[in-house]
Amino acid sequence: MSTETQAVEAEVKEREPLFSKKNRKLISNPLDADNPITVQVLGVCSALAVTVKLIPTLYMCISVLFVLIFSNVAISLLRNVIPGRIRIIVQLLVVASLVAVVDQVLQAFAYDVSKQLSVFVGLIITNCIIMGRLEAFALANKPGPAFLDAVGNGLGYAVILIPVAFFRELFGSGSLFGFNILGENYPGNGVMMSPVGACIVLGLLIWFQRSRNGYTEEA
Amino acid sequence: MGIVENYLNIGIKSIFVDNMIFAYFLGMCSYLAVSKKIGTAVGLGMAVTFVLLITVPLNWLAYNFIIKEGALTWLNNLGVSTNFADFSTVNLEVLKFIIFIAVVAAFVQLTEMVVEKASPALYNALGIFLPLIAVNCSILGAALFLPGKEFAFGESVVYGLGSGIGWFLAVVALAAIREKLSYSNVPRGLRGLGITFITVGLMAFAFLSFIGFKLPFGE
Amino acid sequence: MSKLNKNSSGYIFGFALLVILVCGVLLSVVSGALAEKQYEERELERKKFILKAALGDKMDEVEKPDIAVMYDKRVKESVVNSKGEVVEGLAANTVKLKNEYKKLEKNGSLKAGESINLPVYEVMNEDGSAVDFYVVPTYGFGLWDNIWGYVALQKDLNTINGVVLDHKGETPGLGARITEDKIQKRYSAGKKIFEGDKLVSVTMQKGEGNDYSSDPHAVDGMSGATLTADGVNTMMANYMNLYLSFINAKKS
Repeated sequence: MSTETQAVEAEVKEREPLFSKKNRKLISNPLDADNPITVQVLGVCSALAVTVKLIPTLYMCISVLFVLIFSNVAISLLRNVIPGRIRIIVQLLVVASLVAVVDQVLQAFAYDVSKQLSVFVGLIITNCIIMGRLEAFALANKPGPAFLDAVGNGLGYAVILIPVAFFRELFGSGSLFGFNILGENYPGNGVMMSPVGACIVLGLLIWFQRSRNGYTEEA
Repeated sequence: MGIVENYLNIGIKSIFVDNMIFAYFLGMCSYLAVSKKIGTAVGLGMAVTFVLLITVPLNWLAYNFIIKEGALTWLNNLGVSTNFADFSTVNLEVLKFIIFIAVVAAFVQLTEMVVEKASPALYNALGIFLPLIAVNCSILGAALFLPGKEFAFGESVVYGLGSGIGWFLAVVALAAIREKLSYSNVPRGLRGLGITFITVGLMAFAFLSFIGFKLPFGE
Repeated sequence: MSKLNKNSSGYIFGFALLVILVCGVLLSVVSGALAEKQYEERELERKKFILKAALGDKMDEVEKPDIAVMYDKRVKESVVNSKGEVVEGLAANTVKLKNEYKKLEKNGSLKAGESINLPVYEVMNEDGSAVDFYVVPTYGFGLWDNIWGYVALQKDLNTINGVVLDHKGETPGLGARITEDKIQKRYSAGKKIFEGDKLVSVTMQKGEGNDYSSDPHAVDGMSGATLTADGVNTMMANYMNLYLSFINAKKS
């Protein structure tokens, strides 16, 4: 597995001068106009659940990025040999293995964070962004573009999660990255730390993003 | 406390207090996707309830007889000498993600095939939702919560059913609100997803009041 | 879907087997390589909690590698049972509190016929000549899931020197606040577990912002987290009661 993916990464590097306009769009589109969370409505579960504090959120974003890149490239490599009937299960298996690796690594090197994220590391498996990208992109494209697509979508995920966590931690516990910002006397705000705050912050964020880029949904 | 009361308590707790959507945000992607119309919401809600009812006990069996440390002790009784292989020390926690998701995916695929053959009418009603369910976080989430809850087998059945009903309630309630909402004059950027998130936030607010309420059948 | 041979049963089985094999090998390699490090991290956290309960804030400045050294130098581990007798041949770090906790009845007393293993950590003074603090673990249930912690008693086996609390799934911002220093320090202000000879434990009160400095058995509560606080109180009372024979034996 690892030698395979290393080889792929080398291949991508060779092609880097070929960062065509189309390939650049693979990265830039998911950041705004085609954002996985706010436009495609994928991967919302974790966007709401892990964003109480910034530090676990960052770890979550990195984990998702890692799983997304490796699974997208792996499935793209296998795209011509996967039997159609067991496609979904094979994809889930690859993703689940990668997530188990991430979970093991977190337990060994970031024990505190892995305790805080608890079951939500495991739930990366069913993060729809990953399955969505595998189905929609990796199965039909070469490893190079699949890699870029994964990076773009992983970053698109982070671009939403980090602001949500920023506001929730700032107003919920008066701190940022665990450092106290609003003073010792700030009483904390339970609503911001609960599911309610997550939904409302995300809703307002979507409002902000859409009034900026002009995207509207037919109600 | 009698056994029936215990089951009722677990059921009520999993429907209202530990609600998959409002307490943990699990299964949000499909939740948001199908909650535009009550009809589709009822369909997916029923499918999720059914799959949870079956896969939670299945995963309970997998966890307690395969994965957990010492869970494979029963293999020692099959006649293989413990000098050759002592299964009572085997711990397969690292494989739990893969096993859980494999159980879910396999069951969903199986159901799809059986329903298609046995009852075309039911397949038309539920079938289109089944593929969506393998990647519904609430199914895997319920499985991942199992090790922490330490249920007996019967309790896990009730837990699966209760979690499903909780999800069903949440999705039908949101669909009803969204149908009304489509007649309202919502600001352009907030239309669709934005206002839906805020609605879900307010619904979660209401469900917060269930936290810590005294279970009706005694502790 | 495109080519026929890809849909033959043999091909599907072979392919599935291959994928499973690759994933399995990858996972076992990773988990094998990391198992030791994971164990170290868990041990480190346990050691840090024990030392922090006894020594307080200064543990925040101790670097990770030094914690284990300090622990080896200053902490003497033993295991006792509910009668206060030392259980021989059992290492304190192999006692799984989660399993021991199951031996308790709902009201906190020991189930009939069960014998419980209770770890005791004696934190010695700098030169190792005398015991400074007795640290004992506690385990219980909060609002959502298990909670646990360590209580450090001073030499008189009455005054609480400090506590460290942790939890699995309490509500962030409400019950989860038991992990904050601010909450845990409320136990350090000369709170006592005995009233005369009678064990009364220390109880976290309902409501927040009240002054309990005159009451040695009460600490300020956490607003919005009364049920977690109840869990902490039950856990403290249960475990202090289990250690009662040990404490009395040490006192006399």
